[in-house]
Amino acid sequence: MNYSLLTVEILTALLGLGVLLLDLWIPATSRKLLGIIAATGLGVLLVYAIGSAAPGDGTAFGGMFVVDALSGYAKGFFLVAGLIVLLLSIDSADTIHGYAEYCALILFALTGMLFAASANDFVLMFVALELITVTFYILVSFQRNRLSSLEAGVKYLILGALASGFMVFGIALIFGSANTTNFYEISTAQTALIKSPVFLTGILLTLVGLGFKIAAFPFQIWAPDVYQGAPALTTSFLATGSKAAGFVLLARVAFEAVPELTAARGHLFLGIGSITILYGSLCAIPQRSVKRLMGYSSIANAGYLLLGFGAASLAGGSAVLAYLGGYIFTVLAAFIGIQVVVSHQESDDISAFAGLARRSPWMAASLTVGLVSLAGIPPLAGFFGKLMILKAVAVQVGTSPMVILSLLVAVLGVVVGLYYYLGVLRSVYWPRSVSDLSPIPVSGTTKLALIFAVLGTVLIGVLPETTYQGARQAVAGLATPKSPATPASPPSATTQAAK
Amino acid sequence: MELVVTNAIASAGPAYSSRPEDIGWFILALPLFASLAIALFLHRNRTLTLFFSVGGVVTAFFLSWVLFFTFGVTGLKAVPSPFPWFHAGGLHVNLGLAVDSLSSVMLLVVTGVSALVQFYSTAYMKDDRGFARFFASLSFFTFSMLGIVLSDNLVMTFIFWELVGFSSYLLIGFWYDREAAADAAKKAFLTNRLGDFGFLLGIILVWSLTGTVQFDELAAKLKSDPHSLGVWSSVAGLLIFCGAMGKSAQFPLHVWLPDAMEGPTPVSALIHAATMVAAGVYLLCRTYFIFQTTTAWPAALAFLGSISALDIIAVIGGGTALLAALIAIQQNDIKRILAYSTLSQLGYMVMAVGVGGPDAAMYHLTTHAGFKALLFLGAGSVIHACHHEQDIWKMGGLARKLPVTFRTFVIGTAALAGFPLLTSGFYSKDAILVAAVRHGHPILFGLGVLIASMTTFYMVRLVLVAFFGRSRTSSAEHAHESPIQMTWPLVVLAVPSIGLAWLPLGDYLTEHFFGAQAAGEAGGLFGPFNHAPLAATFGTGAIIFGAWASIATYWNAESDPLPRSLAFWSRVSRNRFYFDEIYEALFIPIQDGLAAVCEWLDRWVLSGVLVRGVHGTTELAGRALRMVQTGNLQTYTFLFVGGVALIILIAL
Repeated sequence: MNYSLLTVEILTALLGLGVLLLDLWIPATSRKLLGIIAATGLGVLLVYAIGSAAPGDGTAFGGMFVVDALSGYAKGFFLVAGLIVLLLSIDSADTIHGYAEYCALILFALTGMLFAASANDFVLMFVALELITVTFYILVSFQRNRLSSLEAGVKYLILGALASGFMVFGIALIFGSANTTNFYEISTAQTALIKSPVFLTGILLTLVGLGFKIAAFPFQIWAPDVYQGAPALTTSFLATGSKAAGFVLLARVAFEAVPELTAARGHLFLGIGSITILYGSLCAIPQRSVKRLMGYSSIANAGYLLLGFGAASLAGGSAVLAYLGGYIFTVLAAFIGIQVVVSHQESDDISAFAGLARRSPWMAASLTVGLVSLAGIPPLAGFFGKLMILKAVAVQVGTSPMVILSLLVAVLGVVVGLYYYLGVLRSVYWPRSVSDLSPIPVSGTTKLALIFAVLGTVLIGVLPETTYQGARQAVAGLATPKSPATPASPPSATTQAAK
Repeated sequence: MELVVTNAIASAGPAYSSRPEDIGWFILALPLFASLAIALFLHRNRTLTLFFSVGGVVTAFFLSWVLFFTFGVTGLKAVPSPFPWFHAGGLHVNLGLAVDSLSSVMLLVVTGVSALVQFYSTAYMKDDRGFARFFASLSFFTFSMLGIVLSDNLVMTFIFWELVGFSSYLLIGFWYDREAAADAAKKAFLTNRLGDFGFLLGIILVWSLTGTVQFDELAAKLKSDPHSLGVWSSVAGLLIFCGAMGKSAQFPLHVWLPDAMEGPTPVSALIHAATMVAAGVYLLCRTYFIFQTTTAWPAALAFLGSISALDIIAVIGGGTALLAALIAIQQNDIKRILAYSTLSQLGYMVMAVGVGGPDAAMYHLTTHAGFKALLFLGAGSVIHACHHEQDIWKMGGLARKLPVTFRTFVIGTAALAGFPLLTSGFYSKDAILVAAVRHGHPILFGLGVLIASMTTFYMVRLVLVAFFGRSRTSSAEHAHESPIQMTWPLVVLAVPSIGLAWLPLGDYLTEHFFGAQAAGEAGGLFGPFNHAPLAATFGTGAIIFGAWASIATYWNAESDPLPRSLAFWSRVSRNRFYFDEIYEALFIPIQDGLAAVCEWLDRWVLSGVLVRGVHGTTELAGRALRMVQTGNLQTYTFLFVGGVALIILIAL
């Protein structure tokens, strides 16, 4: 088997283990070093992953694990997200109890995301998702001394377990009806399979599990509570990496395993997407807690991404991936501002952001870029993503009344979004009353993270072509058949890997 | 065959010097960079602010000379190498520079005056709180203006056109805490927008008829097929002229310019003498080929018959020139006199374009930029010396107290009046008069002579009242010469006001840009008297008459005798022909009425029903949905499972 295909995954996992080990030797007074080592290692990995971006497609584990355009595209963004979060965590090295574990868990979650990007089989998909989710159970409740963090962790755990349960059941039904769990093998037989209600139920239950990860209606209910309760750092990774992993897997299932079903039931995505947008946008309006607001924003954005699936076309899929790429930078840009304010003020109420523009222009700029991009104002990444998605949906006008309806909802969502995103910015720049105008110090590592995030948001918005082409190739690559690299691979190896 | 090969090598040239026109990008970028650097980072540091701002424009000035010698002197036209900016439908917009003799002359004017004004401002604005803001705005203005000069297509021109409007808004309203300045800035911006609207329509019209906005492509197209604009050719020209009317303050959009004197005096020198107001004339010259198409009117305007767009432009220009000169005679504010004189001279230039002499217009634009900037900066020096007194009747006797200012001011005045043989103004004004005679416009020629006479009259009046006689107030009594940073730009600017300096320019422009044969007509210092004695003689006569009349009236005058002798005319002139009042009476009730309707719609329909209604509904929905989010895990689980059931129910 070709282990070189797994280089990035293996190295990321090893990096996590290495950080855990190093903790034994590094004195408690210089814990920051751990974060710096982890971030540097990840930075090197990122450069390596981008440098070796085109090793050629290939599969491992008997077709379970695939390296293709989509996996390459997604892994780049996952690594960037992990890098920015680690950079951001260095500031909190002394306040987080068990910082080495925190870094290691981030790296393990990242490993899960990297596997998810390459999953070509429902079983590997499940395993990768569980790796992500289980690490996040811990990451969410990492502030064990804070009740809200624990509560969030428990909620995430129980609802996550529920979602996983549905998913496993769904995979069992799929295996029962299709006799395989490999995406490619399913796709070759999909025309017959999608007529079977058992298979259909299986797919739907799998989508329930993914719907939970991406916080789509009606499985969005956990998001606001968990986003608010979890430490801001965890939330930022949850909102980017974890969510994006769900979407990448959804893209695999929808466009690789059962594209015919996606095309036939596109309006289901449109419907769910529209309701998700409405729910997220409307609930965000009365929010005062910025972290909770970001939770609802995350729901609303999941809705937009689902609309892209609803378009069920190459354009729609590319738009989803392009949106996702910009979204990761955008949300991180916003969260850098939030994280710094929250850790400084120990509050995430909008009033804690009052006068931020004067207290820390850096953070205000970061938050502004993030929120303005989320609101979908040109020339930032968020605008471009929404534009591409709406464009992909709009060309389908006439196929179903659902299209027009979802477009209307999308526009409404943008308008409402302006209201609540800019509400935060109003407090940042034009506070009603300011009690404290002392400057907030910002460390070099945070500035570095900020520069990455802001630069990404701006660049993807101004020069969207590169991202869009990457996304387009990634989706187009899904349509090409991916047979297992060595069809004659010994079955024992396959079963071993599956275990 | 061999010949072709040689040609190819020759035109390719050595790699390092293959594209000297790319210097244009640097010229454009320098002031922008300075402005951004100051606005974003350096606004607390005066030294660095000055270094970047002045350094940027001075470097741009020297680079402009390089371009002038590479393209201007030789008459070469840089091969345009635009790179595509965006394509939307049939609209292809490129970013590219037009580097040729026209733009390289204009570059020198803009960067030269801008550099001197910035030097001057270092002293003039020394104690101002908004020091850095001032220089950032000046640099940004310079950038926008250079953009107009260098643009090689209409869309790019329009963008920089708007940026000039915007940056002039910043500069006129620089002292925004003064109500008059804030109002003037608003007025200038809105009046300009009115003209810009026409300009935009013109661009759209030209584009829709020819499919291009690129100057060179457009010119080639109109040359190969003069009828490609069809019946709209004259309308297109006039619409583009609308833009020029706004920026160059032509009647009836002239009202903003005098008010714009509320800005700091260096701004008046830069914007309202040399650059922004010249942009309109420059645009007319740049797009002159559009006006050369055959006259045609759509059916609704058929009654205009054979009257061409240029005829209308000439009449508007001449009318503006006359009107402004009449008003200038009875103004008492030193800057307002100069403002109306600027209006009048701009009218002159526009008239020159209209009578078929864009080369004469550009010639006058260039010389005028020099001496009018000199006069404004001189006025600034006077105002500075007299503790911000602007009324000339409260000055007097300044000649001895401000020797440098006085001497340079007199040189500027002589140039503006067009003193024969010695001053640049004489030659450029003569070129306009010649153009009027040549192209058969005897009435406009007469008008030009009359205006020349009036110009001399009010300028001599200004000099006599402000600099001669006795000091009429204590501030004039105790006036002191301004610091060296303010006086030496005056001296520098006095040089190009001398006749010889610009003598070759007229022929140069005629030959290189407008492709006509000048055939050395100007012929040296006495040229005007040799080749067109009529124009030169009348011009000289007009000056002598104007000067005589003015000296007879104002020599040692303690107050203005005209209001007594010419009561009615004086009052009309003093009140600027009541334009502001007429506009107020005409437009304000209409606008108030419209505003009331809009306000009602906005308050009750948009804000009330739509915004508040939608806001209320969504807010209510948001609060209602919040009920779902109980925080109770059991409820969540129930909803989750219910959701699964629902999805399966719907999907199966």
